[in-house]
Amino acid sequence: MAFTEKAGLPSPLPSPLRALAYKEFSDRLKSRWVAVITVCFTILTLVVLYFGSAASGVVSFRNMGATVASLTSLVVYFIPLLALTLGGGVIADERDRHTLDLYLSAPITPAEFILGKYIGLAVSLALPSLLGFSIPGLIILFKTGVGSFGSYMVFVINSVALGLVFLSISFLTSVMFYERSKVVGFTVLVWLFFTIVYDLGLVGVLIATKDVLTPSALVVMLLLNPVDVYRILNFTTIGEYSVLMGLASVDVPGIIRPSVLWAVTVVWIVVPLLAGYYVFKKRYLS
Amino acid sequence: MLKFVQVTKYYDDVKAADDVSFELTEGEMFGLVGPNGSGKSTLLKIMLGIIKPTAGQILVGGAALKDKDWLNFRRLIGYMPERVSFYDNLTGMATLELFASIKGGSITNIEDVLAQLLSREVLARKVGTYSKGMRQRLNLAQALLNDPSLLVLDEPTSGLDPIGTRLLYDILDGVRKRKKLTVVLSTHMLAEVEEKVSRVGIMKNGVLKATGTLDELYRGLNLPLRLIILVNEDDPQGALLSEILKQEGAVNITYAAGQLTAELPVENKLNMLASILGQKDKFVDFTLRQPSLEEVFFGIH
Repeated sequence: MAFTEKAGLPSPLPSPLRALAYKEFSDRLKSRWVAVITVCFTILTLVVLYFGSAASGVVSFRNMGATVASLTSLVVYFIPLLALTLGGGVIADERDRHTLDLYLSAPITPAEFILGKYIGLAVSLALPSLLGFSIPGLIILFKTGVGSFGSYMVFVINSVALGLVFLSISFLTSVMFYERSKVVGFTVLVWLFFTIVYDLGLVGVLIATKDVLTPSALVVMLLLNPVDVYRILNFTTIGEYSVLMGLASVDVPGIIRPSVLWAVTVVWIVVPLLAGYYVFKKRYLS
Repeated sequence: MLKFVQVTKYYDDVKAADDVSFELTEGEMFGLVGPNGSGKSTLLKIMLGIIKPTAGQILVGGAALKDKDWLNFRRLIGYMPERVSFYDNLTGMATLELFASIKGGSITNIEDVLAQLLSREVLARKVGTYSKGMRQRLNLAQALLNDPSLLVLDEPTSGLDPIGTRLLYDILDGVRKRKKLTVVLSTHMLAEVEEKVSRVGIMKNGVLKATGTLDELYRGLNLPLRLIILVNEDDPQGALLSEILKQEGAVNITYAAGQLTAELPVENKLNMLASILGQKDKFVDFTLRQPSLEEVFFGIH
């Protein structure tokens, strides 16, 4: 029982779920994964914050809007990659170790197994995002006041949510393949698709179907990509619509509201995780 | 304790278990043997509630297990999978703590067993430093964490040296003396099964071809007994004894290096022995051997 007691996670969680979550988190803590990523995010934020305007010949701390805009364009590559690699092998590795059958033969439900793993990895991913972005963000607090810092913290929370979205997608990829190598290959494809290919394709579609695609249709297509949802969410938070316009030269429809974007983000977290759960049950328990 | 009734399992179009029926009685050690792909693993997974049969029922105490019952039934099961390597970054003790939390067991349940399996010093080490045998000992320890009533062992001695193998069976015997522990032993090691189990089930192509004690199995297959007689100078080539054996229905009678070997139908055993003992001045010694599990196994396959 000591394993669960050490977890220190909320007691309403069933003991096996807590034990699984704690194991995943403590693994990343002991391997210094959490510490390394926290330091990387801190350095990245500091560099963007101080040197972000170096191209224009000025080196100094920038305002919140410019910092969030610059960080967003970098984070959309880093966090999905980290999340996908973090969760991609979660099932395949257990299968390779032959520990999967041990869990499946234990008195725990498949939902507890999947959720325990997910929570442990989610905490492992969320902590570096929260600390790594927030600590340098204190500079914004001291230089520009509480208002800007509040908006900056929304960016931090959005970034945590982006990580959770791709962690959910990684769980789905993890249960789709038996071999670790296939999981890795597919993970790279997923990352490329959402971070690069999708937007390129969208631009291509816009050009090819000039004046045919309505703004609403474009918005729907943007909402289909969680990376775009994250971008829009950050830009709407800081009021930098013009940055968004670089991608889509249309009026921003009313549908693009933080509440809608958040709802879409939650859907992007829940649906792949649920799909992963059902694929897991189908693959390993039937 | 646990009864399989006409259990069938399909994986797409492949029939992995075909109309399998057998019963495990409380406290027995049951051996499950069969070549790779014969359906043993499928049967074990059904037994553990990991997969559901396509058709048929699993009964516990006479009542069919429903989906909702499996979670509770698994609390009574200990499982020792084959070749489990655990987590290299956890110590042996942390591994046991993890699985105790998952299974709802406790290390206090296995304190005496643990002392025999792995020393405190070894348990404090990371599993990554363990030999294959140590991992297997840890595997047995975790299987007993929840003080199970049914213990399912999949190739338990794989990777164990003879001392480890002996220890594993001694521990099982010890636990079985304390409580009525039912053990299912799935293995390729036929000699091991023959020595340890009370009953055997032989799988082939998803079908449970035979179940029973070894004695029941070889009688069912009409496998002959093997008689070896060490003849003396009064019957130098074993000619006289050969003639007697032939009259009693023995076959494949051969003589080599002072030994007469013959196969005889089990039903003629007593008559044959009486006839042979009537000529006891013609031989020095004799051995009567019943068919081994290996012979039964190949008799079926």
